[in-house]
Amino acid sequence: MTWVKERQGALVTAGILVAVVVILLATGEKESLVIGVITGSAYGLLALGLVLIYKSSGVFNFAQGEFGTVAVYTLYLLHFEVSYGFALLGALAAAVVFGVLVERIVVRPLFDAPRVTVLVATAGVALLSIGVEIWFGEATVRPVDRSFPTLDRFTVLGVNISDQRLLLLGALVGLAILLALFFNRTNLGLAILGASQEPTATELMGISVKRLSTIVWALAALLGGLAGVLAVPEGGGFTPGVLTTGFLIPAFTAAVLGGMNSLPGAFLGGVIVGVVEAVATSAPIFEDIPGTPGTLLVFAVLLVVLIIRPQGLLGKAA
Amino acid sequence: MAVDVEERPAAPPSAEAPARPQPFRPSILGWILRLVVWAGVAWVVLVFPLGREAFEVQQYAQAVIYGIIGLSLNVLLGYVGQISLGHQAFVGIGAFTAAYAVSEQGQSVWVAVAVAAAVGGLQALILGGASLRITGLYFALVTLAYGLVAERNIFQIEELTGGGQGQPAPKPNGFESDWRYYYLCLAFLAVIMWIDWRMMRTKSGRAMLALRENPRVASTFGVNVKLLQLFAFVVSGAFAGVGGALLAFNDTFVSPETWDFNLALIFVIMTVVGGLRSRVGVVIGSAFFALIGYLLDKFTFIQDGLNAIPGAPDLTPEIAPLVIGPILLLLTLVFFPGGIGQQIRPIQRWLGGKRFDLKDRGLKEVQISDVRA
Repeated sequence: MTWVKERQGALVTAGILVAVVVILLATGEKESLVIGVITGSAYGLLALGLVLIYKSSGVFNFAQGEFGTVAVYTLYLLHFEVSYGFALLGALAAAVVFGVLVERIVVRPLFDAPRVTVLVATAGVALLSIGVEIWFGEATVRPVDRSFPTLDRFTVLGVNISDQRLLLLGALVGLAILLALFFNRTNLGLAILGASQEPTATELMGISVKRLSTIVWALAALLGGLAGVLAVPEGGGFTPGVLTTGFLIPAFTAAVLGGMNSLPGAFLGGVIVGVVEAVATSAPIFEDIPGTPGTLLVFAVLLVVLIIRPQGLLGKAA
Repeated sequence: MAVDVEERPAAPPSAEAPARPQPFRPSILGWILRLVVWAGVAWVVLVFPLGREAFEVQQYAQAVIYGIIGLSLNVLLGYVGQISLGHQAFVGIGAFTAAYAVSEQGQSVWVAVAVAAAVGGLQALILGGASLRITGLYFALVTLAYGLVAERNIFQIEELTGGGQGQPAPKPNGFESDWRYYYLCLAFLAVIMWIDWRMMRTKSGRAMLALRENPRVASTFGVNVKLLQLFAFVVSGAFAGVGGALLAFNDTFVSPETWDFNLALIFVIMTVVGGLRSRVGVVIGSAFFALIGYLLDKFTFIQDGLNAIPGAPDLTPEIAPLVIGPILLLLTLVFFPGGIGQQIRPIQRWLGGKRFDLKDRGLKEVQISDVRA
């Protein structure tokens, strides 16, 4: 019985996943399943960055989406000058630089401030970033290239899978595993966890908590940047603040659903939120909801999770 | 020793006790100076907007309405320490409700404002009832998601919003001219400020301040923390509804496009920059954000300076708050946690007949960090 109790979250998750798959296949919504997993992996990738920052500093980072948008803009601008590969590297570098700047200028001076203050500050960073993007770039839709042009290498349950989508899913799974290993096996990962729980004790062990914070924000920005450059080309084009308006809330819902401190949870949550959104968009019973039904359903998921199981599916109760 | 004390004759309280320092009274000159400044403030608020062009008066009225919206967020953020990142939903739904009541239902404007306030309060009651058991970061997240739901679902209901072209909201009878409507908004602001002031003087108001400081301690003193948080949220929602209704009549129509994430953040920023728990500061901060575009037009040298940045297009009135706001927010959070309210406190005290004391910044811990996770 203890075995069941300890793994309650994982079992509930497995149950939900099986139920969702069965229902979707039975109702003929199998396309939604595939589309959902793919959009969900973008949410999951963004959620990984959110969880990373929450795990290490207890902050909800509302600028996470903007890390991605900055990368997309850089990719767009650099691609006029250099080949795609270099532009991609430059884009990720730009995201990391932005992340480090945010940490240095905004997060560090608020090191001892309550966490909600930092939340407001990161939301301010997101707004500033959007404002500057509109100011210099105007609110027009711009196209951005995919990493790989092939659009229909596979067909799963009637949906063409492009190479870009495969790359996105692969990157998400790979990064989730790598990050889990990083936190459990490496000294640096353990130090980051230690610093989040006992900053003073960590300092006494001779580890610079501030340097760790910089590393974490750089890593999170890299994840956000990856989410941007991999997911946005699938949408066809981008506008200022594209990842904040379109991806941030589902990503947060994914992170909360999976458990704010669980990296595999972010991955799972992303997939589930993606499927929920895809079903809401295509299933006939949600047709009467005005506007985009996906938004409403994701909000409902967020509320239900927070009320029934605030620690999330795979998270540990605080 | 005890005997010693007994033998000492009790000093008559009035005669030998050191004279208590007389309360400070300004000199005649001081009073005149204060009166002049008061008159100046009154002139700027009451007389200056008179006889301006309709377009400008409309901007001033918007500044006053933003003051109401700022006060509405102040109740939640300043008094009970919870943050709403979806306040544009409350203001927007208030605006649409009022416009709908007037245009589609043929109600009078007074009924419309009352209904908008009630709907705002009701929304807060439902959303707060469901989600205030989770506070802090998670509450912020829920309100943010709710704002998005309002934008993508509620404002897509065509009967309410009149579809893409928006819902008309004609100005009330007797207040058709812009400056009369401006005075009406001022009256509403005064009423809201008065309610806010009286509310904070009640037992519940003090309990709110206490629970923000420390919910657990407050709860051991018999403060019903959840109920008061919900109450504050409802009051905040009702104020936001009034603000939304006035905004609708000021623009004479409401468009579904206006109410986005950016606006929600501007509302939070103007309240924080204004200075939490300082009514005057919040109103000044909010008015400033409503007038940024107007000020940019008036003071062209700012625009010229910005054009010196290579490749920078004009900073239009729509974008200006998005760029300037966050910078002011970050400066406020890091360097001046008390916002404008704390900075102008010496002037405020001086105007109230006290000594001018630059060191008197009010309570030291006045800052956004009162928001508890």
